[in-house]
Amino acid sequence: MKRTIKIAMTLILAVACVGSVFSQAAKKPVTIDLWYGAAITEAGPPPDDWIVYKILRDKLGIELKLTAEPSNENDQDVKILSSAAANQLPDLFMVRRDPWQVLIKQGLVAPVDDMYPLMPNRLENYFNADSIAFSTIKGKSYGFAFPGSLQKNEGLVIRKDWLTKLGLKMPTTLDELYDVCYAFTFKDPDGNGKDDTYGYGAFVEYFDQEQYLGRRFEPIMAAFGVAGTWNMTAANFGLNVKKPEFFEALKFVNKMVENKVVDPDWPSLKKDDFRAAWKQGKFGIMREQNAALAAQANYAPFDKNFPNGEWVALPPPKGPKGLAATGVMDANYRIYAVSPKAIKAGKKEAIAKFLDWSASDEGYKLLGWGVEGVNYSLDANGDITEKNVPADTKFSSPKGQTVTQLRNMVFYNSTLELNARYPYFTTANGRKIGPLGYLKSFQSYPWINVTGMGTIAPSPNNADLKRYINQGVQEFALGKKLLTKENYDAFIAQMDKLGAAAWEKAAYAQMDENGYLK
Amino acid sequence: MKSAIRLTRTDRVFHLFIDASLILFLAILFIPIWSTIALSFRPNDFIGSALDGMLLAPWKWSTAAYKALLGHKAFITSTFNSFRIFFEGIAAALFFTVPLAYALSIKTLPGRKLLYVLVIIPYLFNVGLIPNYLLVSNLGLMNKLAAVFLPGAVSVYNTLIMKSFFEGIPEELKESARIDGASELTVLWKIILPLSKPILLTIGLYYGVHFWNDFFNAMLYINDSNLQPLPILLRNILLSSGMNEYVEENAFGEAPIAAIKAASVFLAAIPMLVAYPFIQKYFVKGTMLGSVKG
Repeated sequence: MKRTIKIAMTLILAVACVGSVFSQAAKKPVTIDLWYGAAITEAGPPPDDWIVYKILRDKLGIELKLTAEPSNENDQDVKILSSAAANQLPDLFMVRRDPWQVLIKQGLVAPVDDMYPLMPNRLENYFNADSIAFSTIKGKSYGFAFPGSLQKNEGLVIRKDWLTKLGLKMPTTLDELYDVCYAFTFKDPDGNGKDDTYGYGAFVEYFDQEQYLGRRFEPIMAAFGVAGTWNMTAANFGLNVKKPEFFEALKFVNKMVENKVVDPDWPSLKKDDFRAAWKQGKFGIMREQNAALAAQANYAPFDKNFPNGEWVALPPPKGPKGLAATGVMDANYRIYAVSPKAIKAGKKEAIAKFLDWSASDEGYKLLGWGVEGVNYSLDANGDITEKNVPADTKFSSPKGQTVTQLRNMVFYNSTLELNARYPYFTTANGRKIGPLGYLKSFQSYPWINVTGMGTIAPSPNNADLKRYINQGVQEFALGKKLLTKENYDAFIAQMDKLGAAAWEKAAYAQMDENGYLK
Repeated sequence: MKSAIRLTRTDRVFHLFIDASLILFLAILFIPIWSTIALSFRPNDFIGSALDGMLLAPWKWSTAAYKALLGHKAFITSTFNSFRIFFEGIAAALFFTVPLAYALSIKTLPGRKLLYVLVIIPYLFNVGLIPNYLLVSNLGLMNKLAAVFLPGAVSVYNTLIMKSFFEGIPEELKESARIDGASELTVLWKIILPLSKPILLTIGLYYGVHFWNDFFNAMLYINDSNLQPLPILLRNILLSSGMNEYVEENAFGEAPIAAIKAASVFLAAIPMLVAYPFIQKYFVKGTMLGSVKG
């Protein structure tokens, strides 16, 4: 009997021990290795005692391991492709579309179609048909396309005080724009008795979607229907620089340059110089970004210099055929991919849980702004504000920024975000302004949707070809090359010889295949 | 008694030309440095052209950028990591390079030619990024500061310079030590190294500058933000030209971003600027001695 009891006790103990081991194993958090795009790369990582780590561990059983990706896209690509080649990709990682396509071909990114239903919070605000299509190749979704940076946040602005002083109206057509530029240049709009102002201000700023004269001239090119690098219509697809309308647009810019109504320094200015120039009152019309113009810190020098100066949003002027747009806008997403290694290790549910929690009210606010009362507070309207929180921990302070490093994973440009990000303030002469007001105006103006343009594969001699085209266009605009039909045709013929025609053909096939042609 | 050398008119013109050229050369070197320094002290409310900024009087300067950087945790951590990489890297590099160079300098060493070929091969043929990545990863160096300096701890170029220097030390010195019963290690430690201060400092500086500035290895192998060195932070700062567009303040508070960028560049260059004058006399000697030997 005693022996039986002993055996029974031993068995019970053994079962208890094994059960305890199993339950401990079940409680052991799942580690998710996340390579993220930091919101402010130079601000440093979230602190070790970040509350998010604790919540994830306690509530979801997830141990989050963070690595900020390099700030430069090329560096990001190198880091991701190297670790992919060594089969050491993290569980979840942000990746640009080009390397992402390479990884898919190599089978180094897992399909995630069955993860969408596990994320009800995400499905509500973050995913739609467009975003899922963006991360879908041949019927399979190979990652999550989260909303990217704010769209349509740039626009033309004009010095209203100059218009008033000269008794002019807001220009609505290109011809009127030219006339206002002329008056701003030659009629001393600031009244200082010096010939020191220009009508239009710009600098050269290229993006893949905005080549040739760059982003700052896009409202003018759009008036001729040739904004953006490519024409994305099925009927007229191709490089805009080769369209007859581009020649006309270039003639208009050339006229502005020849008659000195555009700041002559524009080809050599850098972004900072350009911004210093408008703060000095050098020109009266420009395309600018809403916060670069009207965030309090950015506006302060202009306000100090010109307390009665006033920039107002200007709808893009109409061209000869009545066309008008501020520029082009491409669908803008950040892809977060999951490695097959993570799926194999059984982390799929944990990843989905983490992503969904981060889109819940708790996760959204913690990742977006930090802790209420420490990093932000809510005002009477329920808007996020930095009032009534310690200055050294508010979310925009150097310390506060570290706890918002993952905000790009949760921000989707909601009203709450915009109100928090772009507060209004009072100028020296008592006006209430803010970047949000400009943003709303800019977003209400026409834009050309060029979704898919950013995915066009570069030509084999991309750098040389772009250099040839952009330099040539700039020389025509500046009058260094005589802008005649013959010269322009010869320029295009040479461009085709260098590979433009072949590039157009390949790009057409790619856009057609991916359904981006309109 | 000193005899004064009379300069001819041609000599004077030639000297004038040389002086003018040197002043011009100095100006070419100095202007960008001055531009960076002036920019780093530019106040937030400054309005003016780049030239105005360069001529901005010191009493109108603002130290906000330096205060912001030197008070920022990320900057302090990165600087500390960079210094660790600098000193640990030099120590490791010399630890590996000196014995290798010494071995190659011993003409009677069995298999010397084969060793020489083995040293030269990686100099001529780069194995590429992925094998290096795998090597570092398999050695367990990922996320360790050693991953930044160990892959470059033996530079063939530096080894060959050092080897040439060692070959220039009279054979008799080594011979006499060996006759007295010294092992090769003793010869190296007691005879060669005390005579090799110039080359050690020169090559140490070569390595140090390389490690101090190395961005790529750190970017590739260091994932932990708390271990990232200064070049990574510097690059993040320099690439963040648009950050004022997205938030009302940048990561470093009230200072203008252009000043932050310039101040970070200047601060990152200071250790090397300080190191050079102290090592200069050895530096010239070390490079010259190494360069004239075959």
